[in-house]
Amino acid sequence: MSSSMISDHIPDIDLITSCAERQDSVFSRVSPWTKGILLVLIVLLITICSDIRVLAVLYTLILAACFLAALPVKKIVAWYTMPVIFVISLVGIMAWTQPGVTVLSIPMPGFALTLTDQGILLVGILLLKALIVVTYSLFFLMTTKYAQFSALISRIFPSPLDQIFLLAYRFLFLTMAMAAAMLKAVRSRGGGVIRSIRMQGHLFGEVFGLVFIRSFEQAERVEKAMTSRGYNGTYTASTTIRKPRPAEYAVMGIAALAVVATFVITPHAGGW
Amino acid sequence: MQKTDQASPHAHCAPVDPDRELIHVDCASHTYPDGSVGIHNMCFRVLKNEIVAICGPNGSGKSTLIEHLNGLLIPSEGEIWIRGKSIARVERGDLWKEVGVVFQRSEDQLFAPTVLDDVMFGPLNLGLPPDAARQAAMEALESVGAADLIHKLPNYLSGGQKRLVSIAGILAMKPPVIAMDEPTSDLDPVHCAMIEALIVALKERFGISVVIATHDLDLAARIADRVCLVKNGAVYAEGTPREVFYNTTLIEEAGLILPGTVMTWLDYCRDTGTEPVEQPITRQELVSLLRRGIPGQGR
Repeated sequence: MSSSMISDHIPDIDLITSCAERQDSVFSRVSPWTKGILLVLIVLLITICSDIRVLAVLYTLILAACFLAALPVKKIVAWYTMPVIFVISLVGIMAWTQPGVTVLSIPMPGFALTLTDQGILLVGILLLKALIVVTYSLFFLMTTKYAQFSALISRIFPSPLDQIFLLAYRFLFLTMAMAAAMLKAVRSRGGGVIRSIRMQGHLFGEVFGLVFIRSFEQAERVEKAMTSRGYNGTYTASTTIRKPRPAEYAVMGIAALAVVATFVITPHAGGW
Repeated sequence: MQKTDQASPHAHCAPVDPDRELIHVDCASHTYPDGSVGIHNMCFRVLKNEIVAICGPNGSGKSTLIEHLNGLLIPSEGEIWIRGKSIARVERGDLWKEVGVVFQRSEDQLFAPTVLDDVMFGPLNLGLPPDAARQAAMEALESVGAADLIHKLPNYLSGGQKRLVSIAGILAMKPPVIAMDEPTSDLDPVHCAMIEALIVALKERFGISVVIATHDLDLAARIADRVCLVKNGAVYAEGTPREVFYNTTLIEEAGLILPGTVMTWLDYCRDTGTEPVEQPITRQELVSLLRRGIPGQGR
């Protein structure tokens, strides 16, 4: 069962896994170490850089990489809904408080709501920052086989943190599948997420709670099945991690230099 | 056939040839945390190279017994022996190497992102290096006829495919005993036949002893060497399928219904006034009997 049954706007983790396992582009042959370090550098870069042009270039590069890796870019864009809502809900109010050239003014009793060019710019910058991280994270997950990913996690995190991380990732699959099954049952009898919440709020609340309870129950059964095959608290990685090649070291070096240069050169650069 | 005495703890374990015994569960009681008794006064053995069917209605303790075989559950009172050694002395954690369990719901067993990863899970836990684990997984998938599913995502497999992959996940560990909880439940007739043939092949080709927990008495009649009737958490009776399934009172007392072939044959005998001297247990045996003519009756 696919978790895309829940909504087209929620990442389909089965599709993500499927892309990762079937991926045969050049990016799937890049070491997970390289991709992981690039993720760290990207996070650093967007933390220190507030120049919308730099962010736009970075976002375009990542999107281009998604196209080159033949990832389902339309789906990825549809999955932006949640991060966009998250950013707008945070920045929506801040945008009306920024100084700058007035673009829109809404008179209210006793005061006026003013949207400035800097307010719009702030929304744009924060949105781009969020989308850069989301898109690159999806790119990372969709071009890295789970075996490689789990081996990477096992190397990075100490036990039992690595086990918690890996099993929590798998638990996500269970919860999503369970939610999809419940929603299918609701839809099969004419219900829908919004409609059910509006018309049968209590019932839908119970259903929502049941998703978690059932997921935990199934997680217990899965744990039992794992124990029966020798799981003793250590998820053994089924592969070794590919080491970065010289070209990958070069890419990481260039990316690190770009971060340093941005920190030094960009006029809007702040501290850490 | 042996009918067991459920009232006397330990007195029910009849002696067997120790060279043939792989697993012996002598569970005086297993009580769940809520106080409900899962099994009690249970003596259950798995011998070398046999298919043994645990038959009983829902809630009779079949699944609890299966989990005792693998060490997932330990008797509150009693002992488990592996090849004559009590698991008090043998590492409890080693039981899973002796008895692989195929769970009733394949979804509970298939947790890895791909079929290959899932089948490799057991061999990796056995300490095999990744390449050897991959090889073991490939061989197991080929053995169950699921080699083409190797890179599939378990979520997208059909029920029958999931069951095959679940069995491959256990077979890859090469345990001497495989226990299957309701192996054909929720499957279409074609996949039921595939699983049935696979169970027989596990015994005949690989020399693996197979324990099946089922309330499908027709399946037990067709493939089991030995049948254990379970009732209220204890072995109620055991014997060959012919001995057990032609004892209609016993089957009724155990809360079960006779296998289709046996029921048909007994109905036929009653309607025609024929004495059921011969006791066909499978459809083939019944057809063969009808072809050659029933003793004491003209054709």
